[in-house]
Amino acid sequence: MLEKIKFERFTAFEKLEIKFSPGVNIFVGENGTGKTHILKAAYSACDIAKSKGGFAEKINNVFYPSGKQIGRLVKRSGASSKGSLEVTRKLEDGKKISLRLSLSNHTTKPEKATVSGSPKAWTENPMEAAYIPVKDMMANAPSFRSLYEEREIHFEEIYVDILRKAFLPLLKGPTDKARKQLLESLQEAMDGKVVAKNEEFFLRSKHGELEFTLLAEGFRKMGLLWILIQNGTLLNGAVLFWDEPETNLNPRLMKTVVGILLELQRLGVQIFLTTHDYVILKEFDLQTKNDDQILFHSLFRPKDTGEIEVSSTEDYLNLSPNAIDDTFGTIVDREIEKSMEGLGN
Amino acid sequence: MKVDADGFSFNFTDALNAFIFDEKDKSKPTYHGQPMKAVDIVAEFDDAYVFVEMKDFDDPATYDVKDFSTEVELKAKRDGFKWLKNYLKYKYRDSYLFRHAEQKVEKPIHYICLLTFDNALNTAMRKALTKELPVGLASRRWNQEIVKSCQVVNVAKWNENFPKWPVTHTAAAGEA
Repeated sequence: MLEKIKFERFTAFEKLEIKFSPGVNIFVGENGTGKTHILKAAYSACDIAKSKGGFAEKINNVFYPSGKQIGRLVKRSGASSKGSLEVTRKLEDGKKISLRLSLSNHTTKPEKATVSGSPKAWTENPMEAAYIPVKDMMANAPSFRSLYEEREIHFEEIYVDILRKAFLPLLKGPTDKARKQLLESLQEAMDGKVVAKNEEFFLRSKHGELEFTLLAEGFRKMGLLWILIQNGTLLNGAVLFWDEPETNLNPRLMKTVVGILLELQRLGVQIFLTTHDYVILKEFDLQTKNDDQILFHSLFRPKDTGEIEVSSTEDYLNLSPNAIDDTFGTIVDREIEKSMEGLGN
Repeated sequence: MKVDADGFSFNFTDALNAFIFDEKDKSKPTYHGQPMKAVDIVAEFDDAYVFVEMKDFDDPATYDVKDFSTEVELKAKRDGFKWLKNYLKYKYRDSYLFRHAEQKVEKPIHYICLLTFDNALNTAMRKALTKELPVGLASRRWNQEIVKSCQVVNVAKWNENFPKWPVTHTAAAGEA
């Protein structure tokens, strides 16, 4: 389980520390407040715990700075400067370990960056993690993986990572009851189940098999979630990162998606998501039960410093600033201005 | 002009008059005493009346949609939105009738509901109320509006938009 993340002069952040909920973490904020960067950094740390690759290299592949010069990830300033990123996790025995990446804007290659903390203990305790990017990759799966392995193509590694997860073989043994229920509610929403044939995904329903390229993007995303649950990627102790789940998803399907995310959290999956969508926030607010662990993180740039800050709360109504609800607030203001003609003002 | 009601404290600094509309104290000249629904406050200004109705959702657990144990219970709580819309609607209409009998509907009337919801939900409530009160000259046969405008705001939005009528949220009525 991830406990916190700390940035110093890294990408968009001057100095930022965020403590995570062991359950669901929801990031809101206007564009350019670093929501996706937080997910990518935390995901990179989770991924190497299992893949046992280098932290610096993973960060470089996931962020994909120009020319793959890792030093470009240090927050820009006129002078020479140093930056760092530190992720802390809590192991099953309660012990806390950290992984820290330090680099300067002159660092050109990942191997020149410094990784400190407990990198050994980090990889000795593997964890499952999946990152669902905004853009769907499922329809592009055929040949994409081999193309990525063989050629230098300009794609952030998250895109090939999620396909690797999607192609993992099924879990052996019978599907447990909780997982079965989740799969069934997804099947109901998609009106079918997902099958893979020769690197190609299909939705099998009573009407036959439909290739993913012909499916609505929203269904492709639900299909991906179905696969990750079915193949055991999302089990107790796993971490799911989902960037803007609302993209291409019909608002009516949000209820199912949020219900499933909450259920995964109850099964011990830690969840990180970013959103610009009111319905998602409200669904979490409505569907949350007393024992659920939800933390809303609002990222914002105060007018005086302009540097990104975070404010976290368990209660949706206390979320402030709330970039999503503030938009509705400006509508309220304009309606009052239009219909009350300055009364009380 | 200060008015305290239902856990909220208002100061209508530019009002000609402002009082608790559903006054229960028989000794007061503004005693309501009729079997009609009534908004909480009526304020009078040079060119308009403002009816105010407050509802504090931190108080009654009835509306707490997070605290449920079954789907049936959750549905019942969601029905609360519809219930609240009707509650706000009929409160206004009965109050308008009462004021009509008082011959106090000669100026345009604005209806403001002060709820403890977020802006998005308030926007949805305003839309429903605007249609159902209804706001403006809704019928071709009408020569007079029964309500000029309807707003649904939380405390923060009230204070931003009505700086001449500051409000504070004190302890809710009946709250332990």
